[in-house]
Amino acid sequence: MSRSTLIWNARLVDPASGKDERGGLLVEDGAIADVGPHLASVRDGAADAIDAGRRVLAPGLVDLRVKTGEPGLEHKETLATASDAAAAGGVTSFVVMPDTSPVIDSVALVDFINRRARDHARVKVYPAGGLTVGLRGAQMSELGLMMEAGAVMFCNGDQAVEDAGLMRRAMQYASGFRALIASRADTHALTRGSVMNAGAFAARLGLRGAPPEAEWIAVERDLTLAETTGCRLLIDCLSTGRALAAVEAARARKVNAACTISAYSLFFNEFDVGDYLTYCKVFPPFRAEADRQEMIDGIARGAIDAVVSAHDPQPPEDKRLPIADASYGAVGLETLLSALLSLVSDERVTLVQALRPVTCGPADLLGLPQGRLKAGAPADLILFDPDTPWACRREDLRSRSKNSPFDGRLLQGRVLKTWVDGRIVHDAWQP
Amino acid sequence: MTAQFSYAFPHRHLLGIDGLNRLDVEELLSLADTYVDLSRRRVKHADVLQGRTLLNLFFEASTRTQSSFEIAGRRLGADVVTMQAATSSLKKGETLVDTAMTLNAMRPDLLVIRHGSSGAVKLLSRKVGCAVINAGDGSHEHPTQALLDALTIRRRVGAIESLTIAICGDVLHSRVARSNVALLNLLGARVRLIAPRTLLPPGAADWGAEVFTDMREGLAGCDVVMMLRLQAERMEGAYLPSAREFFHFYGLDSEKLSYAKPGAFVMHPGPMNRGVEIESGVADDVERSLITEQVEMGVAVRMAVLDTLARNAPDAGARNQ
Repeated sequence: MSRSTLIWNARLVDPASGKDERGGLLVEDGAIADVGPHLASVRDGAADAIDAGRRVLAPGLVDLRVKTGEPGLEHKETLATASDAAAAGGVTSFVVMPDTSPVIDSVALVDFINRRARDHARVKVYPAGGLTVGLRGAQMSELGLMMEAGAVMFCNGDQAVEDAGLMRRAMQYASGFRALIASRADTHALTRGSVMNAGAFAARLGLRGAPPEAEWIAVERDLTLAETTGCRLLIDCLSTGRALAAVEAARARKVNAACTISAYSLFFNEFDVGDYLTYCKVFPPFRAEADRQEMIDGIARGAIDAVVSAHDPQPPEDKRLPIADASYGAVGLETLLSALLSLVSDERVTLVQALRPVTCGPADLLGLPQGRLKAGAPADLILFDPDTPWACRREDLRSRSKNSPFDGRLLQGRVLKTWVDGRIVHDAWQP
Repeated sequence: MTAQFSYAFPHRHLLGIDGLNRLDVEELLSLADTYVDLSRRRVKHADVLQGRTLLNLFFEASTRTQSSFEIAGRRLGADVVTMQAATSSLKKGETLVDTAMTLNAMRPDLLVIRHGSSGAVKLLSRKVGCAVINAGDGSHEHPTQALLDALTIRRRVGAIESLTIAICGDVLHSRVARSNVALLNLLGARVRLIAPRTLLPPGAADWGAEVFTDMREGLAGCDVVMMLRLQAERMEGAYLPSAREFFHFYGLDSEKLSYAKPGAFVMHPGPMNRGVEIESGVADDVERSLITEQVEMGVAVRMAVLDTLARNAPDAGARNQ
């Protein structure tokens, strides 16, 4: 049975082609059959037609860093609840981190995630395999077998691999499979016990800080190892301008290096920790305003391959504590798009520039066909109005945990409809 | 029986393949051919080493190499003494050089040494007056293994210069691989190395071998597949994720062997880890596996080496006239 839908009278924004134009898009059998200005108005035919009313039709978002609690910590989040939050936030594909209980460090666990996601998630879920056994940083895990089972990349979760010898051999080994290794940009010896960015403000609050050099050192080390091993490296959540410059300099030397940043580091700076707000305790921490500005400039010039939600659900019992004792992490699936749209409304970046690192940028890193408005690509789509204002209230979030630093903030741009393979998975549109 | 040997082998020791020329190797292999014949007789005895003393000094455990040298020495009529590190005074704190000086004072003619450190055999060769044969030093060289592999290939597969030969597995730590790459190149073969990147030495591409990380690509068109032993301590931990992952991607089973030329031969220096680097069905396939033949050729090659070096030993001049 062939089922087709025409979405017409839309503002098509496709970062892969750089186009931002009025047009329409035809979905057939879960894939994009045709797209372009010639479909701007409805015509006779078999297709169901949706008048987009000049709202933005863009590829569904691809998020490279999401934590759930499945398996083992389901009270924080399950694949099902995370996928509900994702669909509402316009995220149609996400990569789950391996720091679960047990850790995703074997073929059986990769397979478990794929099966659970197939049966319970509304959006596409891709497992990242643990780089070391138990994420303990002592022994390389079965990268080749996990890759065959469907792991799309490897990382050590929230832990940096401290042993440079192990990191080098893991990168050598992975390079034989053309695998992508994501590395946490942290030198743990410098950040142990830290609560926020190191500096005058942390000192005044009496809080232990994570100095930016912990990130610079780690980034330089892993870029050097990527250069000598030829491994594909993804710097996971960098947060400082100097680290970004190091990545760009390495790329200029033909090092196969990419980087991500979290959406909240585009939106917040260290002063947002303000009155000891535990929802603002994240890692890497909100940095100085100058770093935030350099990150935004990085988005504008296309230096940042992917912006991630860094979704990390933490229940109240782990957050409603003195800030030094509270856990790190913030939920972010439902605010990823809005955080980026705030840069657009501030006229810092264009809509195409803002969406590239959440669509074709990350999709290309993983070699996925989605993340673009192109005939033949999966019909993973979002329809949104970039100017609709809304107030983020944590109790409205779909995520099982509500630890959002955006709680109480005024944001703009809400997803009206989300499609995965041509199927509507989220519908908040009241025309 | 005394072999006729007209070419004067110009070396006092056999420390590695590095330093030999093609003629040296051809002469050793031809002499070894005659010792294969001798060893297949009912009475396997020659007297070319009559009255000479062969000392085997093994600082690393060995079954086949040690007994192979012992048998080779005895078949040629030598007096053979074997010492193992476990029972030697090295365990009592004596330095390597002192041990060598002590043994040298007993006036052996031939000293066969295996040691766990690269370069240790060469160090000893400078301190003694007799001929020294390297029976394996660390990750450096194992020249008699390469010679016996070449003899096996020459006799069973054919002229080495026309062959493509893959060496697979733990190249990084393998002295067998280093000696074999050197020797097979000397004899004109096309050599390939196939291993995960963690087990490939830096610069391996400059050894005169093509380097592959994928068995399917690396084995395509090969006449001979040489598997290397993966030492247990390398399996779990830093170099590889696990033995099962290694077997999945690099262990030689009948499917991976099918990527090579039809009828391609399989070799292994032993001892084998069945189910890690090689599947039992492949190792035991009498049509394809040359593994037991390698052991037989080992004795003949070592007889040829002992015979040749004994002629060059400094105090052997009078006897050879």
